[in-house]
Amino acid sequence: MNAAACYFVDGMESEASAIARGLRRRDPDLLDRLIEQYQHRLLRYLIYLTSNRDLAEDIFQETWIRVLERGHQYDPKYEFSTWLFSIGRHLTVDHLRKKNPASLDGLLNEEEGVSLDPPDNRPSALELIAQQEQAERINSAMVGIAAEYREAIVLRFQEGLALEEIAVVTGAPLGTIKSRLYRGLNALLPRLKGARA
Amino acid sequence: MKRDSHQEARELITFGSQGLADSEHARLSTHLDGCAPCREYAQAAEQLVRSLRSVPFAADLALVQKTQLRVRLRAQQLRQGQERQWLVWMACILVGLSAGITTPLLWRGFEWLGEWARVSSPVWQVGFMVFWISPALAASLIFLARGIHLTDTNRTSRG
Repeated sequence: MNAAACYFVDGMESEASAIARGLRRRDPDLLDRLIEQYQHRLLRYLIYLTSNRDLAEDIFQETWIRVLERGHQYDPKYEFSTWLFSIGRHLTVDHLRKKNPASLDGLLNEEEGVSLDPPDNRPSALELIAQQEQAERINSAMVGIAAEYREAIVLRFQEGLALEEIAVVTGAPLGTIKSRLYRGLNALLPRLKGARA
Repeated sequence: MKRDSHQEARELITFGSQGLADSEHARLSTHLDGCAPCREYAQAAEQLVRSLRSVPFAADLALVQKTQLRVRLRAQQLRQGQERQWLVWMACILVGLSAGITTPLLWRGFEWLGEWARVSSPVWQVGFMVFWISPALAASLIFLARGIHLTDTNRTSRG
């Protein structure tokens, strides 16, 4: 490992260790900062996982309560986001099991409620319309594929998690994650033909 | 690429450049150099990933503030619970110590009372047991009543 990579890994570890120490102390200021830092990523993941914004917002709040309560269980050898997503996922699966003892696939047809808000960086009206159209096209294509494929795609390509980290979050073997990504992308490609960034 | 080389190339494209080993990178590059359909697939996948990353997203400020407030309140509850638990443990230790010291003295006192009142041993022994256990019974009843009250309150606030 070269010096720059060492520095990066050490920096990541020290940040994760600082988070772990703060979580053990149940430091409210640290939690406020973490909520602000990870709000968009966690909520986006939960919305794609559940296909339901209201449900995702409820689970979003419960996830942070769980982070507070189980903070001492966070292992700083993993990135905080990996642990956060796995808590959100567990809560989602628990909720779905209580509501309907089927797997995540049970949510496939619940297309209503999926809406993503535009960011507050004030684009022009035309840009806004184009962005919204694009987002709607992507969202409807995403909702049309199986939930486990959608989850793998969101974690890999939107959240930028490594394959191994996705395996930790989902609790699935690496081979399964690779297969989900491949199948998910192949299911998504024909649906999004013509979509441009 | 021995098995279906196109499928393997497409799988490697899917995993993204960061997820590939150097040897896989090299194999993929060689395959793409000589395979137009897989090159097209790679371009389409890249385009798709860019489209996915371009989706704008923002959480509501109200949701964030509500979550922060809930987390702070829960943290306060947990802290109070911990303090209460500490007090309960201290009380248990003190009660245990005082019981250990006073029980033999109390036993002798009841024995003397039994002799003075000329009652049989089982009678003063039962009297001792009732006297000895009554504070614990009273405390249990208070805790039980408090527990039922808390359960009812929680149910009402949820319902």
